[in-house]
Amino acid sequence: MDIFEEIRALTEKYPDRRGALLPALYIAQEDAGWLSQEALERVSSALNLPQATVKGVATFYSMYKHRPMGRHLIQLCTNVACMIMGAESLVDFLKGKYGLEPGGTTGDGRFSLVIMECIGACDRAPAMLVDTDFHSDLTEGNIVEILEEYE
Amino acid sequence: MEKFLLKNIENPASASLEVYLKVGGYESLNKALQMEPADIIAEVKAAGLRGRGGAGFPTGMKWDFASRDVKFPKYLICNADEGEPGTFKDRPILEKNPHLLIEGMVISAHALKSEMGYIYLRGEYPYAKIVLEKAIEEAYATGYLGDNIAGKGVGFHLSVHQGAGAYICGEETALIDSIEGRRGQPRIKPPFPVNVGAWGMPTIVNNVETLANIPLIVSIGAEKYAAIGNPECPGPKLFSVSCCVERPGVYELPMGTTLREIIYDHAGGVRGGRELKAVIPGGISTPVLTPDGIDCPMDFVNLPKRGSMLGSGAVMVFDDTVCLVKVCWRAMRFFEHESCGKCTPCREGTGWMRDILERIEGGFGREGDIELLQDIALSITGKTFCPLGDGAAGVVLGFIKNFSDEFMYHITNKKCMVNKDSQSAG
Amino acid sequence: MIKVTIDGRDVELENPVTVLEAAKQAGIIIPTLCYFEGLTPFGGCRLCLVEVEKLPKLQTSCTLMTADGMVVRTETDQIKAARRSVLEFLLINHPLDCPFCDKAGECDLQDLVARYGPEAGRFAEGKRRHPESFDDPIIVRNMERCVLCTRCVRMCNDLQASYSISVTGRGSHSFVEPFSGGKYNCEYCGNCLTVCPVGAIMSRLHRHTYRPWFVEKEIETVCGFCGVGCSMVLQMRENSIIRAIPRAEVGFNKGLLCVRGRFGYEYVESEAQLTTPLMRVDGELKQVSWEEAITFIARRLKEIKDAFGGRAIGAIASGRCTNEDNYMLQKFIRFVIGSNNIDSSARNYYAPAETYLESIFGQGITANLISGIANSDGVLVVGGDPTAINPILGLQIRASWRSGGKVIALGAPGGLKRFVAYELMPTPYSEEIVLSAIVGRLLKGKALSGENTAVEAKLRSLRIPSDEDMEVTGISPEDIARASDDLAGMATSVVVIGPDIIQRERASKNLFLLGAIAYLINARIFLLSERPNYQGVMDMGCLPDFLPGGRPVELEMFRHKIEDALGMKAPEDRGLTLFEMINEAETGGLKALYVMGENPLFNIPDSARVKKALGNLELLVVQDIHLTETAGIADVVLPATAWPEKEGTFTNLERRVQRVRKARRGKLASYGRDDWKIIADIAERFGMTRKYHRVEDVWEEIMHVSALHAGLGYEDIADGKAVWPYSGEPLRGMEGDFSVEGLEDLPHVQDSEKPYLMIERSLYHSGTFSRRSKALLSIYPEPYLMINPVLSERLGLAEGEKARISNERGVLELKVKLNKDVPDGQVLLSNTFEGFGAMGLIGFSTGPVIGSLYIRDNTVRVEKVLV
Repeated sequence: MDIFEEIRALTEKYPDRRGALLPALYIAQEDAGWLSQEALERVSSALNLPQATVKGVATFYSMYKHRPMGRHLIQLCTNVACMIMGAESLVDFLKGKYGLEPGGTTGDGRFSLVIMECIGACDRAPAMLVDTDFHSDLTEGNIVEILEEYE
Repeated sequence: MEKFLLKNIENPASASLEVYLKVGGYESLNKALQMEPADIIAEVKAAGLRGRGGAGFPTGMKWDFASRDVKFPKYLICNADEGEPGTFKDRPILEKNPHLLIEGMVISAHALKSEMGYIYLRGEYPYAKIVLEKAIEEAYATGYLGDNIAGKGVGFHLSVHQGAGAYICGEETALIDSIEGRRGQPRIKPPFPVNVGAWGMPTIVNNVETLANIPLIVSIGAEKYAAIGNPECPGPKLFSVSCCVERPGVYELPMGTTLREIIYDHAGGVRGGRELKAVIPGGISTPVLTPDGIDCPMDFVNLPKRGSMLGSGAVMVFDDTVCLVKVCWRAMRFFEHESCGKCTPCREGTGWMRDILERIEGGFGREGDIELLQDIALSITGKTFCPLGDGAAGVVLGFIKNFSDEFMYHITNKKCMVNKDSQSAG
Repeated sequence: MIKVTIDGRDVELENPVTVLEAAKQAGIIIPTLCYFEGLTPFGGCRLCLVEVEKLPKLQTSCTLMTADGMVVRTETDQIKAARRSVLEFLLINHPLDCPFCDKAGECDLQDLVARYGPEAGRFAEGKRRHPESFDDPIIVRNMERCVLCTRCVRMCNDLQASYSISVTGRGSHSFVEPFSGGKYNCEYCGNCLTVCPVGAIMSRLHRHTYRPWFVEKEIETVCGFCGVGCSMVLQMRENSIIRAIPRAEVGFNKGLLCVRGRFGYEYVESEAQLTTPLMRVDGELKQVSWEEAITFIARRLKEIKDAFGGRAIGAIASGRCTNEDNYMLQKFIRFVIGSNNIDSSARNYYAPAETYLESIFGQGITANLISGIANSDGVLVVGGDPTAINPILGLQIRASWRSGGKVIALGAPGGLKRFVAYELMPTPYSEEIVLSAIVGRLLKGKALSGENTAVEAKLRSLRIPSDEDMEVTGISPEDIARASDDLAGMATSVVVIGPDIIQRERASKNLFLLGAIAYLINARIFLLSERPNYQGVMDMGCLPDFLPGGRPVELEMFRHKIEDALGMKAPEDRGLTLFEMINEAETGGLKALYVMGENPLFNIPDSARVKKALGNLELLVVQDIHLTETAGIADVVLPATAWPEKEGTFTNLERRVQRVRKARRGKLASYGRDDWKIIADIAERFGMTRKYHRVEDVWEEIMHVSALHAGLGYEDIADGKAVWPYSGEPLRGMEGDFSVEGLEDLPHVQDSEKPYLMIERSLYHSGTFSRRSKALLSIYPEPYLMINPVLSERLGLAEGEKARISNERGVLELKVKLNKDVPDGQVLLSNTFEGFGAMGLIGFSTGPVIGSLYIRDNTVRVEKVLV
């Protein structure tokens, strides 16, 4: 289904079509991996919302991406619990292993790394999301194993 | 204590309707559907349930306000945006006991005469979205959601609205803005959401855990419920315990259980038997306590007397290996990142404090930095649009008040007191 | 009654207001940044914090409502400290670049810091950097100076309803941006500039050349671009306009302006402004003295009058000139020359439409207050985009929508696109069928009131289209039913009529139908006006059949009254209309034409024919500020003063008479002269004895001659209080005598293979004046053909590629611009750029009933130009 139609269908869930904006942005982001100006324009026209308004909303929420992302998005938490349990060394480790800087993408476009605020896994820290998969109790040992599953 | 909120979650299929029904699921709903809406509200009031999201506002009172408003439709929104660092108490309900939440919401909707509800789920919980949507589908299929619930002529529709990474949306008016497809910034109050909420209509926003308590109240009645835990704010409470303990996790315990019990009896004590240095009792926004405060009962009444707050009941335990300057800096980085930008003190002050803390932590502290930090924090306190700024200021004030030596050490010696070799700013 | 105490002063309030407002009533000004009167409260800046007894925390006075017994303090030490810290927060990332910030001197932040401190900064970290954006031709954006008060965003969303900017990002990384992040691509109203309290959004028109204290004088005047007549202030330095700004407290536009009003004034100071009279000598225009020019004109006019009679002479008045200018021209032609041949480009649609509607409903039917539109619960728009033609009126329609009103537009909604309930897009020239169907539906089951028997009699014989008849319109009977029912449900409705529904065959039928709808739903009628003074042109008697005050020239009683007042005679029979004058010039009946502030060669269709006709004249005099197309073929060209160089009055489309004030001397002041003065000068050569020293003298005469303006003194016109019907006498009892074309049949709608060329009435231009407005040109620099993507695909034309449009009248090659809102079967071209006027490719005739411009033969062949 074209994302235009998919977005239109979402509006059924809300008394006002604008309510569908956040889910619509997710759909557009899933479609291209990030929210380009063109993607925002499509969301704007599908929901008949002003473009600037759509952009204002899309840039408010940190999980919408406004630059092209790698094929897989690593969202690693470094908030207090994860930090205490060693998340910082994982950041260094990813830099060494994949040349991956926070906010950056590997040269081969395989991974992008985004530092997250708390992802609600403090009991299993450090933790990350890879795309929508949740991984916890990370160590330098198991993080490679996990990431190798993502091509 | 018998578990109610986390009942049966050890069962790998606990999220399924089938399993939920086997352990008595939806019986409270069937009971509630025989009750008059006003009677349910009265029951919740009598039970003394206080909101589990952090502010601890009496749920029955909120419902009462909303039910007095004559405008329709009314919206019932479940706040599943737990983003407070250290907090993961709602997660087991969302991922393992979704029908309890749905049951709680349908009962609440019946009480409040709401026919439309949303679960505002944080974007960082993609798995919970899958679980919730499946559960909602099951509930529709078996008539626990829809136009004629359990054949009783009560209608309620429910869907999941996923947030996208904004802590501020845990604040109910920002959450409403976010559901409406706006930048999630707090609204001017009054009017309150119970009168003018989503799409201008009366809207009741309750936390996941709050709503999950409703079936219990209906099932055992207000009197028995009020006997659980501290009578001033009774009921079962979920505590998420993390950082330096042997068994981090979510514990369902009576409200008013002391920190000592939680840490030592349930979470297995400080990891490796190390020395307890500090505890944050209710999530990162609540002021830190020193070890002499751990006999304080964890509830809405006693923690404020100790200079902190229950917040979300997220207990963060720090042992003697943890640099609290660094914790404070990391917390401030969080607040700076999550400040919505609407009001001046929070928008500018959090970043300023983060910068100073980053310098101190990295060994570039200057004389006067501590006083400046305190002054900035006091300039924020009480002057921000919403409590986020107060929280940020409180963290700094709390850490400096209780651990000023550690800050001074960093400034004077240009290095960390705990890990004396380290000068890293992380 | 609510009683509150603020700083020890007791304030009594009828209704709850904010503490800020209550304090203001008590004469206490609480400092603010994010607050702006008229915008929704925000509560973000935290400067207006006050202490309220019994409330533990400081409260923002801009959001807190007063309650009885409230005790408020606004300037305690605690509050001062809070304000100081808020200002310190605002300054930590501020670049502190006041020396070269254009806002210095009128910057709220600067003033507040001066008042509350801090004296010294304590911020020793790195400042947030965000480079200034010069991507836009009009607006410079400096986000380092931004205090995120969001006044601009709220202005753009709430009042302008353009939704062109928003806050992007979050927290301290929030920035105000247009969608592109660079260029605005907005309506360029500039209202964001008005509300920005700091130097974050600045105009490029006066970059680094302006400081508030440079302003030598401020002149309060009325905009000279369209018929709305917004009040504005011209800030002057050394005879030059530095800025054109609105004032919230002055005028019904309440602090709003549109792009033309705010940024369009530069044409006045263009190099092209005429400075000296020109006369054709040996086929070429040569500079001559005023005396020489005036003497020549007077002599030639006398000769022509003596040889052919006064009726061989005609004049064209101007919707850009003042009432006084137009009155004087009318007086000269009618009473001195002895000819009723006077008309203007108001003939294109405005004048005949108004006259016709008045013949149905009585004088003043279109005199309704623009500000009332915002309070209406429904608006029907037909025949043009109000947000482009009359932007501030358009905003009122948006405001009506915001407060729940239903907006229905027949045809492309343009700037109302976001505000219409649904689209009703009829095929070209089928609107009459749609309107008939709506009337039919409204009549169904409705008992007529009997109030206007003439209208009702005609409604009885109106042919109501069947569902089958509707097919050609492309609009379904269901849509008609919905629209009609919505209209019927409106209680305080408005019908807005634009040029495009009038400039066509059977215009009387369209107008009758619109009038009938207004009659049936009890709506107020507004007629869009492209010029600032079309109404004044009419009221001053610049019509072949009406004397000043809208009195028919052919009725002896009225003519005599005016003749008696003036002691001069006017011809008894009606004169020639604009188009009739062109026809007569073509056939040799008209020998001389005096054109004041008009450019018929460009502004009426079929330029080739008009050129030939004007070429036939023995004398063509053009009085203007630029060497227009028409001036270029004239025998004598007289330099006139431009709008900001004039004193006088304009009458806007709601018929409010307003003062135009002189802000600057004309270029080379000894040369440029006021239009009325030039004409009075010539009239004196004919023996007119009345002397006029000042413009007030002219108004004085108008007051005596025009029954409408009787008793309205020049000084009474101040402050926009001169609202219809003034203290004069509207003409009553003349209505009811009208005819309607094709009442009992339906038009034959041709399915044209070739698209229709329609006139683009752009928001960014105003006739040919704006060719010389640099700022407007930077937004819309060159002519283009606007086509929809369906057509562009069919023709293989991409955006920016060149198209050739042609018909028997000519060929034009120009860039195409894609716009999906252009209706199928139409292409749009503006009538602004030299050599590229849409009118040049359009044919016309005049209709038998209302005499407006009947556009015809306007299909064009569109092809791609192969490079």
